[in-house]
Amino acid sequence: MPINGNADPGQLTRYAPTMPNLDTEALTLPNVKVLQVIYEIDDAVMAELLPPALHPTIPPTMHVIGLRADDGPLGAFTLASVRVGCRAAVRPRGLPTRAVCTEGAAATALEERWGFPITVGEPVLRERYDRQSIEVNDGNVAVLSAQLVDPVPIGNGDLLYTAGMHVANVERDGETKPWLVQVDPDFEVSRADRGAAQIDAFDSNFWDAPELRPVYPIIASYTTANITLPKIRYICDPLQPAISGTVAL
Amino acid sequence: MKFGIFYEISVPRPWENDIEHEVYHRCLEQVRVADEMGFHSVWAVEHHFLEEYSHCSAPELFLTACAMQTKQIRVGHGIVVCVPQFNHPIRAAERAAVLDILSDGRLEFGTGRSATWTELGGMDANPDETKETWDEYTRTIPQMWTNERYGYEGRAFRMPTRAVLPKPYQKPHPPMWVAVSSPGTEIDAAERGMGSLGLTFGGFAEQEEKVDRYRSRIRDCEPAGLFVNERVATVNFLYCHPDNETGIKTGSRLTGSFGYLAAQLLPVREVHPTRSYPNPGLLAATRQQAAQNPGEGVSAPEGVCIGNPDRLVEEIKKWESCGVDQINFLLNALETIPQQEVLDSLRLFGDEVMPHFVDDKPATTSEPRELAATAAAGGD
Repeated sequence: MPINGNADPGQLTRYAPTMPNLDTEALTLPNVKVLQVIYEIDDAVMAELLPPALHPTIPPTMHVIGLRADDGPLGAFTLASVRVGCRAAVRPRGLPTRAVCTEGAAATALEERWGFPITVGEPVLRERYDRQSIEVNDGNVAVLSAQLVDPVPIGNGDLLYTAGMHVANVERDGETKPWLVQVDPDFEVSRADRGAAQIDAFDSNFWDAPELRPVYPIIASYTTANITLPKIRYICDPLQPAISGTVAL
Repeated sequence: MKFGIFYEISVPRPWENDIEHEVYHRCLEQVRVADEMGFHSVWAVEHHFLEEYSHCSAPELFLTACAMQTKQIRVGHGIVVCVPQFNHPIRAAERAAVLDILSDGRLEFGTGRSATWTELGGMDANPDETKETWDEYTRTIPQMWTNERYGYEGRAFRMPTRAVLPKPYQKPHPPMWVAVSSPGTEIDAAERGMGSLGLTFGGFAEQEEKVDRYRSRIRDCEPAGLFVNERVATVNFLYCHPDNETGIKTGSRLTGSFGYLAAQLLPVREVHPTRSYPNPGLLAATRQQAAQNPGEGVSAPEGVCIGNPDRLVEEIKKWESCGVDQINFLLNALETIPQQEVLDSLRLFGDEVMPHFVDDKPATTSEPRELAATAAAGGD
C-alpha cells in the first residue's frame, strides 16, 4: 500500500492553533487575489513532513500560496502559506506547515475558526504585468520568494484548488489533542492566469518543514476569486489512516 | 460479446525478493490460462513512474512474451502513449509491426496520451499538446504501415521519406483503438473510425449514452487508418467464485486496492491547469471504487463483475444490452488475490460464464474499406 507519513504529530504542532470549538460558520472573502506556485519536492523527506494519516502524492509536491484580500469581513490582509501536497485516503489534500499574515485580527480569525498555523508577519503580494510574486522576509532575510512568470489567461474553470488538512488542537470528549481539520474552501473564480513557476528563496526551517526542498517547478496560477471558507465538516485523527480515522461532525 | 484481460501490472511494496519478477510471471501464467479458456485478447497498459499502481512500462515486451506462450489470444496495446517524449511515432509503428509479425497477426493497437502529471512531468512533456500529438500519430502511423515509403512534415515530428520497416502482418494493418477515459473521447474515437477502448468504470446508463454517441458518430467518420474498427470495449474487474458472498468480498478487496492506488497519483488537472485535461479521467473514476475500505466492502457496485457465475452472467447481459462489444477484466492489484485464486476465478468464468455469450463478430471486425491511402493528412 502507499507510503504513509511518519511525522510525529507533536512535531507538526509548533504553529498549530487551538480551536475553541468547531462550530465555525462559513465566511466569504470577496475578490481575493490568489497566487499559487506548485513545485515537486525532494522525496527524501516526503514522509517526514506528514502525519501517519496522510500519504505523500506521487510525486511529492508543495504549494506556495499567497493571497490578498483588499476588503471583506476580515478586513484587508495579505497571507502567505506553504503546504505539502498529500492524500487523505483517496482525497487530494494539502497540509499547511506555516502561514504568515499581515493583520492580527484576520490571523486570529483564521487560526481560531479554521485552524490555520498562522503568525503575524509582513508577506507582500506583488502584481505586475509580466509576473506576480509573494515574498516574506524574516528580519532582513528572505525566507520566501515565489513567482508566476509570463502569465497567460486560462479558463476560470481550468483550475482546481485542493482542500487543506490543518493541524489544530481540538477538544473532543474532554481531551484536547492535535487533529487534522478539513478545510475545503469554495473558489468562485472570476479571472485566472497561468505561468511558469519560480521559487528564488525558500527557508524550510522558517516554514516549519525541515529539509523540505523545492526541486522541480510544475506551474503557477494567479486568480481573482470569491473564497468561501467553509463550515468545518470533518476532522481526522492524525495517527490513524484517514480512511478509518475520519470523524464527521 | 468478447472477453479480454487487462494488465496494469501492479506491484506491492516492498520491492525486494524479486517481487517484480514474480508478478510478471504470474501474469504470464494467467494469460496462458486465459488463452486456454478462449478469452479474446490480453491488453497491457503503458505507464511510467506509477509506483505500485503499474510497473508496466514496456508493454510491447510483455505482449511479445504473451504471444510466444499462447496460440489464439490477441495481444493489445492498451495503450501506446502518443507523445513524442514517450515514443517516437516511427518507433511506435516499428515495434507494433514486429509484435504483429511475431504474434502471427494478433495485434490490437490502442492509442492514447497519458493523464497524469506523474508521467507527463516525468517525461518533460507538455500537457497542453498531447491531444494534438495523439491526433498526428493516429493519422501518420497507418501511413507508415501501409506505404512502402513515407515522409512527413508536421507539428510533433518530421521525417524525410523512408521505408518504415517491417510492415504489419495483418493487412492493411492492425485494428486501431482510442483509450477513452474522459467523457467525450468516445466521439474522438468514432470520428476517426477507431475502436473505443473504455478505461473507466461507469454505470450502465452512462455507458449506454457513450455507446449511442459512438455508434451515431462513427457512421460519418473519416478513418485515421484504412478501415473502420467499430467496436466498444469497457474495462471491469473480475473475481468469480462459486459462493457469491465470497466472490463479492474478495473482489471488493481487488476493487478497493486498485482505486486506492490510483488516487495517490497526480492527475494533470490537479496541478497543471489546462483545457487539454478538463477531467481527472481514470483517476477520479477509480476513486469511486475506493469509497469503501479495501477488504471490508461486501456490496458489489452496479456492473462490477465480482461474485458467483450467476451474478456475473446477469451483469454482463446488462453490459451487452448497453451495446458493449467487449469487456476487458483486471484480475488483480497489489497481489491482493493469491495467484491460485486468480487462476481458479479465470477457469470458473471460462467454464460457467463465457458459454452464455456468443462471440459472433470476427476478430478484426469491420471489413477494410477501400480508402485512398492519402485520406489521412500529411502523407506524401
